[in-house]
Amino acid sequence: MSENTTPENAGTQAFLRTFRAIVVVMVVAGIAFWVYQNGTQPESENPFKLGLDLAGGSHLVYEADVSKIDPSEVPELMNVLRDVIENRVNVFGVSEPIVQVESSSFVTDEPIERLVVELPGVTDVSQAVAEIGRTPLLEFKLYDEELAAQQDTLQNLNSLTESGTSSAVIGNVTINGEAISEELPFRDTGLTGRYLETAALEFAGGQSGQLSNEPLVSVRFTPVGAELFEEITRNNVNRQLGIFLDGELLSAPNINEPIAGGTAIISGGFTAEEARELAQNLSFGALPVPIELQSTQTIGASLGAEVLGKGMIAGVIGLSLVILFMVLWYRIQGLVAGVALLSYVTIMMALFQIIPVTLTAAGLAGFVLSLGMAVDANVLVFERMKEEFNRGVSSREAARTGFTRAWSAIRDGNITSLLSAIILFWFGTSLVKGFALVFGIGVIISMLTALVVTRTLLVTLPDTHKSAKNFMSFVLGNGLEK
Amino acid sequence: MFIITHKKIFLAIAAVITVVSIGLIASLGLKVGIDFTGGSLTEVSYAQAPDKAALEAAIDLAVADLGEFSVRASQNENGESAFLIRTRDLSEAERVALTESVVALGDGSIDRFTSIGPVIGQELRDKALYAILAVIAIIIIYVAFAFRGIGTPVTSWTYGAITIVVLIHDVLVPVALMSVLGYVAGIEVDVLFVMALLAVLGYSVNDTIVVFDRVRENLMANRTEKRTKREEAGIMLEDVTYTLTKPYEEIVGTAVQETLARSINTSVTTLIALVALYFLGGAVTQTFALVLMAGVIAGTYSSICIASPLVVTYAQYRAKKANQTPTQSAPKNT
Repeated sequence: MSENTTPENAGTQAFLRTFRAIVVVMVVAGIAFWVYQNGTQPESENPFKLGLDLAGGSHLVYEADVSKIDPSEVPELMNVLRDVIENRVNVFGVSEPIVQVESSSFVTDEPIERLVVELPGVTDVSQAVAEIGRTPLLEFKLYDEELAAQQDTLQNLNSLTESGTSSAVIGNVTINGEAISEELPFRDTGLTGRYLETAALEFAGGQSGQLSNEPLVSVRFTPVGAELFEEITRNNVNRQLGIFLDGELLSAPNINEPIAGGTAIISGGFTAEEARELAQNLSFGALPVPIELQSTQTIGASLGAEVLGKGMIAGVIGLSLVILFMVLWYRIQGLVAGVALLSYVTIMMALFQIIPVTLTAAGLAGFVLSLGMAVDANVLVFERMKEEFNRGVSSREAARTGFTRAWSAIRDGNITSLLSAIILFWFGTSLVKGFALVFGIGVIISMLTALVVTRTLLVTLPDTHKSAKNFMSFVLGNGLEK
Repeated sequence: MFIITHKKIFLAIAAVITVVSIGLIASLGLKVGIDFTGGSLTEVSYAQAPDKAALEAAIDLAVADLGEFSVRASQNENGESAFLIRTRDLSEAERVALTESVVALGDGSIDRFTSIGPVIGQELRDKALYAILAVIAIIIIYVAFAFRGIGTPVTSWTYGAITIVVLIHDVLVPVALMSVLGYVAGIEVDVLFVMALLAVLGYSVNDTIVVFDRVRENLMANRTEKRTKREEAGIMLEDVTYTLTKPYEEIVGTAVQETLARSINTSVTTLIALVALYFLGGAVTQTFALVLMAGVIAGTYSSICIASPLVVTYAQYRAKKANQTPTQSAPKNT
């Protein structure tokens, strides 16, 4: 980067330097304006996304029971589950609910599948839980004669021992290595609510064997479900097909003939009101697997707003104090570092909006922390620059050498930070992931602003020597020096 | 040079800090919050706060088989008096019962409710631990890689290992602070604390690396190279031997001196941001800020007063050992 010092050339160089500096400042100002527009306009496309702890709302974690599901099918089933619950949640009219699947096979031996439901603005968690709980679990199971016979035998044995003198109860009897379950003697067919397309309320005509005008729910299967249903009915003619709602046996009609066409009738002694509600709930979708509520979290909206406000004040004051310190210690270089730090804040906020990063109390705290750490690259460069400057090198040349010399330290320090961020992002739960993301982006942007903004502005400053003892040489000094 | 000359004093101070920290952690323990153990936390605030004993009685009555629970008086973000109620993991029905009875005590409102199942807590604890271990492993490998070829008189692995020793010191101090806070003020370890520790980890490594980077640079500048060619199985090999033109201690000492201003200034700016967060940020992040301050101060001390003295001490120990057994060690090609 050596410069030719012929007069015309020097003029061009000076113009280019100033031009670059102006472009950099303009670009940052442009981004700042964009961030401001997006953040304040009520109908902007990229507003800041606030986490539940700042916006207030409910956070529910459900665990799905996938123990009976073939592992290869689990991801698809979880997606079905997510869609069903999302449909449900959308009924509330919550703005931007988040429903996501979280698998935890990373650490634990047994994979646990969870469904995380975030409802911004919903602080009445009971209502939310009740609404989600209304999602029916519909299963079609075949009557298992063998199991029924075994259960009968066991019951007979037990009643014998009970009536006799011995008070021992026979439990946990196994046949062929399988424990006899105490549940109803039905076995899974794989046909569940996941294959449901629509459900409707119907009234039976006065046919034989049925009460006239009995309310019924008719369901229509998806094409895959219809095929499955036909296959099950074809292979099991003259057996009973049990229809289970939320684990309870509703009815167990006899299969008289293979049923094609993909429709089934659910009867269960409903009242008209019950049948209407079931049909409505089923048409939102039925659970493909049973779920259980594991953890809930609610944050009041006013509390969230307070945390957000305080975090922002802390950020603004922290930023001002850091810049003040830099200006007092590093004088004009500190001012340049201040501009670089403002650019850092601006670009980070723009990225928060674009990606978008969900801002939480923890993320906000991490961002305030990063304000202090982001000037590190600047400090490293200024210290190297000072060494060169004190050695008698011109200030502009000192700045260039400062960057070259400080580069290896900046690089190694930032790469280790970045590697840590990547690992955290991999391992972490959602909360840690957010932190790791902000941390990782912060590392890259702070390095970039130091290399681009600080460098461009520093070389634009008037060139001088330490020995000049003029105003410029004073403001290019630092700390306690005169 | 001051720090290297008096390295024994600084290392002794560091040893005392480490031992005291471990002692505090071992004796006081950490109050682990529901994030990791599972359980429920209810924050209820009142315009007119009821008696704590009355609240406790109401809670006990509201939920059957509640077992142990704790009630701690606090203030919410709006400055109203509030109570933090910690109980075991509550079911939905139990939650409703608890909420109704505490709210009825005097126009209260629930600011926050968290309930975490024991499985999630356990999993979070495991994940946090694995993440920290993985980060440590990757750092030691990267440092060893980045400082490869530094060779004389200690290998790059030494720098990597010392980075980790320093890191353990830096993490112990905030953990010790946390166990004191838990003992004195009942503050519990939560996910935010783990994040603070991770940030300390990053800060500590960054700080140490900057000093070592300067050591590396000064080593390169102050050595002479001797290349000897030899032939082995028809292949020409070149052995390079480096000789330092200055004592190693002096080179390291100068490096510490030269990075001193940077180390202090960066920690000052970081502390400024943290102080602002502590005093102006919400109550939620106050402990986070405090823990980080402890970590940053420890990190700055250790990068200046522990990392380099340790490298020099180790190099001297190696040199001494090599001198004691000169005949036994085979001639080495470096």
